[in-house]
Amino acid sequence: MTALLKLDHVSKMFVRGGILSSHRVAAVRDVSFAIAADKAEIVTIIGESGSGKSTLARMILGIQMPTAGTLELYGRNVAKASRAERRAFMAMVQPIFQNPFDAFNPLKKLDRYLFMTAERFGGAAAGEVAQTAADVALKKVGLSLAEVRGRFPHELSGGQLQRVAIARALVSNPRLIVADEPVSMVDASLRMAIVNLFGRLRDEMGISIVYITHDLATAYYISDRIIIMQKGEVVETGDARGVLSAPQHPYSRRLRDSVLTADGPRLVASS
Amino acid sequence: MTGPPVLSVENLQAYYRTHYFGVNREVRAVDGITFDVHDNEIYGLAGESSSGKTTLIKTVAGLLKPPLQFVGGAARFSFLPGHDALATAPRAVALGVWWSRLSFIMQGSMNVLNPLRRIRRTFRDFALRHVRGTRQEFGQRVLDHLARVRLDPSVLDAYPHELSGGMRQRVTIALATICKPQFIIADEPTTALDVVIQKDVLGMIRQIQREMGSSVLLVTHDMGVHAALTDRLGIMYAGRLVEEAPTRKLFAAPMHPYTQHLIASLPRIGDAGHRNSLEGSPPNLADPPSGCRFHPRCPLARDVCRASAPPLIVAGGGHRVACHVVAGAGAS
Repeated sequence: MTALLKLDHVSKMFVRGGILSSHRVAAVRDVSFAIAADKAEIVTIIGESGSGKSTLARMILGIQMPTAGTLELYGRNVAKASRAERRAFMAMVQPIFQNPFDAFNPLKKLDRYLFMTAERFGGAAAGEVAQTAADVALKKVGLSLAEVRGRFPHELSGGQLQRVAIARALVSNPRLIVADEPVSMVDASLRMAIVNLFGRLRDEMGISIVYITHDLATAYYISDRIIIMQKGEVVETGDARGVLSAPQHPYSRRLRDSVLTADGPRLVASS
Repeated sequence: MTGPPVLSVENLQAYYRTHYFGVNREVRAVDGITFDVHDNEIYGLAGESSSGKTTLIKTVAGLLKPPLQFVGGAARFSFLPGHDALATAPRAVALGVWWSRLSFIMQGSMNVLNPLRRIRRTFRDFALRHVRGTRQEFGQRVLDHLARVRLDPSVLDAYPHELSGGMRQRVTIALATICKPQFIIADEPTTALDVVIQKDVLGMIRQIQREMGSSVLLVTHDMGVHAALTDRLGIMYAGRLVEEAPTRKLFAAPMHPYTQHLIASLPRIGDAGHRNSLEGSPPNLADPPSGCRFHPRCPLARDVCRASAPPLIVAGGGHRVACHVVAGAGAS
């Protein structure tokens, strides 16, 4: 059984500075994990800013190539893929970004994004087939083409826009969605709408999700597995509820203790 | 609370008004809001995006730009007697209190700090004109203040890009508080930060506020932040205040259906029970629903909710709520 996604000792180095003073910075160091092809799951990657979680996401999406180690999709090395294979990978792995207002061009109608994705990755020719594909994808997120057709981004609320972004990702029938902090800019009740939608994608459509966040509460709520990163390295990994209930690594414990909850202790002046 | 409030907002109204190509559009982003902020208090404002939180603080601070217009009501500061609102006061009066008496902590520290200038220069840009004394005295004051907020003096020689996100946000807080303002407005001060740094930055806001005895108006959609930091909390929905109570009380016994939903939908570590999200979308403020603006999404809505807007009534113990159903139940 080949895995849907397999990272084998993946590292990413960036070279900083000029010719005289260059030094290498490891954004991601020696990360290995796999997502099985036959069982959809939500894998949360959590960590502070600069911990390499977004670099990891970009490597999974194929925007950046690892400097060491291999990243495989269905057993095929992404770094050595041909053009045709790259396109097939892009259809299989789709991104959702943090801020829906930044993700869409304000001068472009939203349905264009859906049609373009359908034409390019869904195998649909232009016209009716693309429209049907867009409508099907929008229905999965609780919208319809009639609501979105001809609308510009400013005409929809943030929650609707984020759902359009998810629908766009669904058009190409992906196996894996990489969501980079999809809820950090939205408010509490909307956050649950999007997180619940992720749960439905996993349970009803069998789509695995790499959920990148620094919100531990939603990670506990929705994810099956969790990977905690610090400074490019994985410090703790395992079953999400197990890890968050009883974190072992000092950094995981600090993360967990920093979560502010409605019934938690009041913050006093830091010493 | 004892003594007169530092900020007293009374039936404040501020609308976005545009007229393009003969089409007039009016968005009632702040529509009749009344609340007080007392001395030495952190007052929180919560609500979803587009509920008018940011418009409210812009109006209170007098930072209105067209198409946003001040329409009516008052937002009186105790240190500004004789003026009903900064928005209508002469610019010279506003310049006299901005930053020295009334200051701001903004969301994106990168947007506040000039990327081409060292932090030392930024301090001079922001605060020197509000401080009496020579440059040497000012320099000493900056050093003293940095020591108070436990920032290393070496940050003064750094450029913003050399500091981490949390460090930059601490620098903006130091900037906002160097003149010992009586009133601080904080707009989503930690939204862009991760949890460990968030706790650190919020602790710093709390510490400075306690030391200086200032009042803080804290706006964020993160209910966890409100629970940990604010003394009293107001919930906004569609341009109106729907509930207000001491924070602990609000979380323990929310009365308004919207607040109840907001608190029930918070995920918690250790509780994987299903959380529902609110059906429907936030109302269009250019054409708000009749009566109570929450009624299209409210599980308890009745005929009276569609007909008339509920007033904000006192429910005892510092609790105020604007809901026909809750008010009716309390009376019967």
